[in-house]
Parts: sequence; C-alpha cells; structure tokens
Amino acid sequence: MRSVRQRRTAIGASLLAVLALVAAGCGSSNNDSGDSGSGGQDVPGADALDKASGVTKITFWHGMKGANGEAVDKMVKAFNAAHTGKIEVTAVYQGDYDETITKYKTSVQQGNTPSVVQIYDIGSRFMIDSKQTVPVQSFADKDGYALDSIEPNIANYYSIDGKLNSMPFNTSMPLLYINKEAFVKAGLDPNKPPTNLDEIMADAKKLTVKQGGKTVQYGFNAAIYGWFIEQLIAQSGSTYCDNDNGRKDLATKVNFADEQGVKVATWYQQMVKQGLMPNTGKKTDDAQAVFKSGTSAMHLESTGSLRGYLDAAKGKFTVLTAPFPHLTASDSGGPIIGGASLWIDGPGHSDAEKRASWEFVKFASSPEQQAAWHTGTGYFPINSKALDLPEDKAWVAQYPQFTTAITQLHNTKPTNASSGCILGVMPQARKASEDGLEKAVLGTDPTQAMKAAADSIKPQIDQYNKTVKK
Amino acid sequence: MLVPCLVVFALFIVWPLGKSVSLSLHGSDLFGRPDAFVGLQHYRDMLGSAEFRHILWVTFAFVLLTVIPGVLGGLVIVLLLEQHIKGIRIFRTAFALPFAFSVASASVIFATIYNPAIGLANGLLGRFGVDRIGWLTDPSWALISVSITTVWMSIGYNVLVLSAGIGAIPAEINEAATLDGAGGWRASRHITIPLLGPQLFFLIVISTIQSLQGFGQIKILTPEGGPEQSTKTLVYSIYHTAFANNASDFGAASAQAIVLLVILLVCTAVQFGVLERRVHYK
Repeated sequence: MRSVRQRRTAIGASLLAVLALVAAGCGSSNNDSGDSGSGGQDVPGADALDKASGVTKITFWHGMKGANGEAVDKMVKAFNAAHTGKIEVTAVYQGDYDETITKYKTSVQQGNTPSVVQIYDIGSRFMIDSKQTVPVQSFADKDGYALDSIEPNIANYYSIDGKLNSMPFNTSMPLLYINKEAFVKAGLDPNKPPTNLDEIMADAKKLTVKQGGKTVQYGFNAAIYGWFIEQLIAQSGSTYCDNDNGRKDLATKVNFADEQGVKVATWYQQMVKQGLMPNTGKKTDDAQAVFKSGTSAMHLESTGSLRGYLDAAKGKFTVLTAPFPHLTASDSGGPIIGGASLWIDGPGHSDAEKRASWEFVKFASSPEQQAAWHTGTGYFPINSKALDLPEDKAWVAQYPQFTTAITQLHNTKPTNASSGCILGVMPQARKASEDGLEKAVLGTDPTQAMKAAADSIKPQIDQYNKTVKK
Repeated sequence: MLVPCLVVFALFIVWPLGKSVSLSLHGSDLFGRPDAFVGLQHYRDMLGSAEFRHILWVTFAFVLLTVIPGVLGGLVIVLLLEQHIKGIRIFRTAFALPFAFSVASASVIFATIYNPAIGLANGLLGRFGVDRIGWLTDPSWALISVSITTVWMSIGYNVLVLSAGIGAIPAEINEAATLDGAGGWRASRHITIPLLGPQLFFLIVISTIQSLQGFGQIKILTPEGGPEQSTKTLVYSIYHTAFANNASDFGAASAQAIVLLVILLVCTAVQFGVLERRVHYK
C-alpha cells in the first residue's frame, strides 16, 4: 500500500497539472497599447527619410509560404540591395492570413506593430477601424505620386470614397477549371465551357460517369467555400452586405440570405443530391485533391491554384480555364478582385520609418516587381504595366490558361457589387455563409439554412459596430 | 526552500488563472483588450445558450469515444503481444509507433484517407460494395472519424505504458498461476489485468484530460467545428471565440476556459474518488 501522504501528493500534483494546463491555454493580455499619439496616422514629408542618419530598419510581416514566400524574400532582397546603407527591410512570415492578423492584433496590444503588414482583403475594414495605419493615398497625395497604373478593379476593393487605404499586393480571382479530356469523351466542346450555374448542371449530368453503380468521375466539384458565394453574388450584380457593400457607411447586415444566396445554396444542394458532385466539405485542399486526381471534370478555384494544377495534371489530363460562372444567364456583374494588400503602420513608428515603409510599398507595386511576382507565384499583377513587360508576356505565352484571368479582370466594370463587401466581421460572415451552405448541402431547406446563417452573424456585426462607434 | 516553488506557482498558475477570471468578467474591444466590466454576463450567455449545451455534449461524447476505445484497445494489444510467437518484437514496435507521430502529420494523413471521393477508406469499402461514407462531411460520422484518429494516435502511448506494467509483474506470480492450471484468458483476467491497475488508472486519468484538451486533430480534420458543428468541443470553441477568423472575444473565451477548468477538476476528482479505490498498489 502507498502511504496516505504519497496519495495526497499524487492527487495534489494531478490537480495542479490540470490547473497549469488549462491556465496555459488561456493566455493573457497587456492593457497598454503603446502610444497612439495624435500624429500617428499623419504623413511625414520626404525629408524625414533624407535627414535620417544611418540605416532605417523596417519590418514586414506577411502570410506567404512555399514558392510565394520565396518570391517575397527575393523581392525584399532586391529592395535591400537597391537601398544599401539607407533602408533595410526584414521580412517575417507570420503564418497564414488568419494567423497574421491575429499576431498583428497582439502587436497592437503590446505597442510594437510591424512597419508594414500584409492583410487579407476581408480584414480591410478591421484595419481601417484599428486606426493604426497611414493610408497609402495620403502618401501619394503628399508626394504627387500617381497611382493610376494600379488596376482599377483591384484598387476599387481597397478604396473607400475614392481613397486608397492600402496598397494591393497579391490578387487572385476565381476561375472555372476544366478537364479537357473528360469534355471530349463526353462529346462536349471544351472550348465552349458552361457560363452559368444551370449550364454547369446540364453539362455535369453528361460528364458524370458511373461504373457498376459507382461514380468514377464526377461532373463537377468545389469546396463549400464562402468566397464562391461572395463571388457568385457579385457576378449577379448584387451587393453582399447593406449600405452599398459597407462603402457608404458601416454595413449592418449581410445579404446572403436573399434570392441570390439562396439560389447558390439550392444549386449546391441539387448538385450533391443528384450525385453530380461529391461533398468534400469546407476544406479547399480536399476539393482540390479530387480535381487534381482527374476524378472531377469541372471545378471552381482561384487563379492561384493554376500552377499546382498544371503540375499535378501533367501526363494525366489537360487543364483548361474558363471565366467564373454567372449565377444566371442574364447576369451582368463581375467577380470581386480581392487577395491581400500592404498596410503602412503609423503609431509607434518614427517619421523616417514611415517614409521607408512607403518606399518599400511603392517598390512592391512597381511593374518590374509585380511582373516577377506574377511569374513566380501565379497571382495576378496589380500593376497594369507589368503585363506589358517582356518577361511577363513570355510567361503568359507559356501558360495560356492564365489569359482567362486577364480577360476576366479587364471585362469587369468596377461597381459597388464587384468591389466586395467591406465589413468588420467579414471573416466570421464568410464562415457563417459556409455553415448555411453546408446545412443546405446536408438537406436543410436552402432558404431556411441561409437565413439562419445570416441571422447568426447579426449579433457580431452589431457588437463590432458598437465597439467601433464608441 | 518553499519560497522559489511558491513564486513559480504564483507566477505561472495563480496569476494567469486570476487573469483569466478577470478577463471573463469583462467585455473585449477590437484588439481583445478588456473594456467594460460586465460581471457574470458571459457566464449567463453561455449557460443559457443551446449552442453551449451542444458543445458540452460533443465534448462529453468525444471523451467517451476516445478514452474507452483507447485504453481498452491498448490493453487488448498488450495482452496479445504477451504471446510467445516469432517476430513479436516487430509487432511491439509497430503498435507503439503511432506515439512517434505528431498530431499534425497524423491528421493530414487521415484527412487524405477520409476524402469522400478519392480516399483510401471509401476505396476499400467500395470493394466490399459498401456505399461511400462522408467521413468528415456527414455530421453523424465526423466526430467518430476524428475519434478514430485520436485513438490511433493515443494507442501507442497506452501500449508503451501497459507493456512496462506487464514487464514489472514478477514472473513467479505467473508461474504459480500456470502450476495451478490458470492459463490464457483466466491468467489475464485474474492476474495480469488487476496487477495493471495502477497503469490503467493512470491512463484513464491522463487520456481524459488529453481528450478534454484535444485540439490539433479536430482543427485540421474538421475546420470550423465540422459539419453542423458536430465536432465543436469546448477547447475548439475557446479557440474559435478568442482567435479564429479575426474574432477577439477574449472575455467570452475566458469564461469558457474557466468552465473547462471546473469540468477537468471535477472529472479528475471523481476519477480519484471512485476509481482509485479499486486500484491495487503493490
């Protein structure tokens, strides 16, 4: 027998271990946010950097990994080489977009924000409300720097009242991907791809192949991804949230439970129910794997996936691209052009640092760097002049599938609908729309499913707006 | 002598715990900083919501689905490994191997196995004429699939601990039993299993705690709480409320963390109160 004392110690130690493990998971926060002095968001003159002695060091936080991360490092290296002895940029990978914004928030709490940070499109409203950044437009106005070579459709997303808040950096668009051989085998013309949801369904019926009661090829597949809902609603020319997509005033509600969102949910539900598409859930990786394996004939994904698909399909099938589908045949809208942008931080940074950040942001958006970025990653160049450079032209010639994206971008008329909803809790709204879509796919009435999802996000919108207006 | 220990205890346990309690009584601003004092509002909202009851139910189901198969499975494997057959060491190593896998890599491998259209699991079932299962996309399967992965990951450790326990049983006890005519299952039931009591008790307590805190596999296999929130456990919910999708409601998340702490304390206390009495220490 163990003695009572030993047992007590054991019990005590176990309870302590429990306490420690739980406490460790809860984190803590500091109350002070560092100085957010009145001049924090102002723009210093160019002389601030000229007068600075020694090397001005700035930090750049980003969310790019793999080949994209290498492209960022290459760009930073080129910048540092061009500014030796004057400016030195240190790039830090902070995890994916979600993790980057979470770490950014912590840095605001602790009062040591990075000089430049890359934030995803749907974090834009939050970044504006955080009052931590200096609008890119203010720098441009002060210097008389022309921003007109930035693709207007892209600039539109990051502008409110015609003022550019952050510099677009990496942009992707959704496309309809096509397995050419599957089309040919089914007697369909791969050069006449479906252009709207109904046509996709009709073609998917011809493209779904069954053997002995088992589906060996699905006509279509896509992830349950909120981005697609946003895109399809924009394609129909409607807004995703009220107050002109949150551009006239803070948005107070989402519109994805309206006719258009319900149409998307009904369509997904039918596609799965009729066995034309597998339900691979919300994870885009799982949906991508299905298309890459050649098990699906049509597929929705971002332009950013093109390179990976071409590599995966090599020797197995031919990947073609087509414009992202419209919701109905009569739609006249276009897709939203998002991605991520670069924000310059103000409060807590010296004037020389702010100017150095601006120099870096200008560099990152220059035609040469954007052409290198485009060819290195597959993201769309945000600078229209990049497409005229010879190395970019050579790349597009090598991957003609990318032309679809260029045409799609240039055909889109900038409107409130195609500029996308700017909402403080947009990341949560996107997830809520996915919950609704998933419910519909699993059998709930699409109208009810989307309504419940839209209702679920309302308290969070209200809470956010209340916090911001305080 | 006690002072350094107390300082560490205060710094790493009492202070964060106090901070969590304090956070749970405040609202949160845009960056997650505590703002207005809201008293017990977070607790009232939480305990009054149907969603929270659902989360508790999922948490409880996850514990049952992982602890019982994990410990029992480990025990069965260890008893089987006691057989004196050729090449048994290979099996011993093989069964202990999952212990060496990280949560992330195991989850990613299982995610490909579970893929409804092209995954290995449905491919095998298809050969036997079984229809495709939405392992991670069907709300009635998702928690089971995540539990299978969790059991697979924890069983290696259970096998290691129980093997060590069996190795420590004196040979003469087994010899005596054999002489008395008790072999095979009877020896296992009346000799080996009772003598493994301390190890089994340890594994049950540890597995319960680990299960209540399970996170990596849940997040990787079923993002956003899975289909119809069917895999949203309490720990996942804490993460979701505090960090996911640019949320920063540290107040409500801290309130959930305090509830988790209470549940863990109660579970562990009950296990010590009820189970430990039956454990036979040498």
